[in-house]
Amino acid sequence: MDDDLRTLRDFGDSLGHEPPATLVRQRERMLRARPRRRGFGWTMTALVAVVTAAVVAVPTLLISSWETVPPPVGQRPADVRGALNVLLVGTDSQAGSPRFAQGARTDTMIMLHLPADRKKVTAINIPRDSWVRIPRCGSEPARTGMINSAFDRGGLSCAVKTVETLTDVRIDHMIEVDFAGFKQVVDALGGVEVTLAQPVDDPKSKLRLPAGKSLLNGEQALGYMRLRYYGDGSDIQRIKRQQKLIQAMAKKAKRTLGDPAELRAFMAVAAKSVKTDEALDMESMIELVSSLEGASVTFRTVPWQPRPDNPRTIQWKQPEADRLFATLR
Amino acid sequence: MITQPAIQGADAELISASWSQPEAFAELFDRYSAMLYRYVSKRLGPEPAEDLVGETFLVAFSRRKSYDLGYPDARPWLFGILTKLMARHHRTEAARYRALRRAPIDLDVESPADRVAAGATARAAGPALAGALAALPAKDRDVLLLIAWGDLTYEEAAQALDIPIGTVRSRLNRGRRKVRAALGDTNPMLRGQE
Repeated sequence: MDDDLRTLRDFGDSLGHEPPATLVRQRERMLRARPRRRGFGWTMTALVAVVTAAVVAVPTLLISSWETVPPPVGQRPADVRGALNVLLVGTDSQAGSPRFAQGARTDTMIMLHLPADRKKVTAINIPRDSWVRIPRCGSEPARTGMINSAFDRGGLSCAVKTVETLTDVRIDHMIEVDFAGFKQVVDALGGVEVTLAQPVDDPKSKLRLPAGKSLLNGEQALGYMRLRYYGDGSDIQRIKRQQKLIQAMAKKAKRTLGDPAELRAFMAVAAKSVKTDEALDMESMIELVSSLEGASVTFRTVPWQPRPDNPRTIQWKQPEADRLFATLR
Repeated sequence: MITQPAIQGADAELISASWSQPEAFAELFDRYSAMLYRYVSKRLGPEPAEDLVGETFLVAFSRRKSYDLGYPDARPWLFGILTKLMARHHRTEAARYRALRRAPIDLDVESPADRVAAGATARAAGPALAGALAALPAKDRDVLLLIAWGDLTYEEAAQALDIPIGTVRSRLNRGRRKVRAALGDTNPMLRGQE
């Protein structure tokens, strides 16, 4: 750098200030401002889609490769009769994705609450970077850490135990879905058919489809799920598109049942992407999925705030968080 | 694991991840908020800096889907947004330089050694530089300071301001001429240097 620019730079350095700790408030401001439901909505739909497709196919074939997990041991919150609480853990094992450079896998944690009448389902998003008390799980001693580490280190039953301890809400079932599996499930189904009123040309997802009927492969189906700037661009339309896609998947899955070879291929994939607890039988699974499709689902997020000593992680805001969970007990 | 960034790799990858995972965008804040804060505090002082950095990220977040993923480094994009937001403060900025032209720079006693050293060299030239900056047209000042204080290259400054690189060069040359003239008045060593 030439002398004049260097002198100018030094002058700038003498004027500059280091950021104060309060700059973190601006990070919070940005995170608050973001429309939370967009990403969450997609995640939710993908979960429901995979579970639906699996559920439709499973009853005819009781497969042993369907992995189940034993429930946590020890004292547990009271089981409220009639209500059903399910912990959904979405994981993403996409190798090479920058988000998983350090091997973290938990992508989403959602607590689904189905009241006795099953009319209004509440889906509570549990931020994965929540800093919480994690109870003793097997050989792992009790400790404080990020909630997703309960799952990453202790598995599904440790995640359930942690959530139960924190919320005092009894978790009846747990389902783990691998998102990478969504694409594979669609491909295993031999694609899924959609009918479009107008062509799609979305540079963001690189999705290009003509008007009329199209058979989407896994990659395209994923792009279609995420598609936003299409039609009137509204969220409502997007949700409708996603529901249609799920219905189409269910239809395709039903048809696939007729062909034993295809069914076997599909089940191998579905079994790899979905893990449940032992007690979640097909009846409950079907009930769960049908109530999700019919009922009105309210999406909430556990009230939170950045941790003062490490703003990379967050802590639950009390008493707001407790109040939210009290409504589910 | 907790204190390390959850995401590594280019900014563009991060922004593209944030299209489906909005919280991934927070990592961009962790990477660049301090850098942007320092830049604003040099030009406008610490008071408006926090808010301007916050606004920059609000705007960036809302426009993340129109980010051109062909640019791996997001700094020029962020500086571009910040420059537009700072335009509202041009008068305050000029007034600040005029004040610095009259008063010596208030050096913080607790500054780190390198900052004190930088301050010492800049102290002599400070009033003259402040005077030159106060007199510069806003557009020339933006280019000059993005390069000198924001550490952007010519190409990055062109990208940040969305102007041709030739325009960056001509504005920079104009700015530097005035800076050199001001320095020449106080430091004969620099006189006559191209």
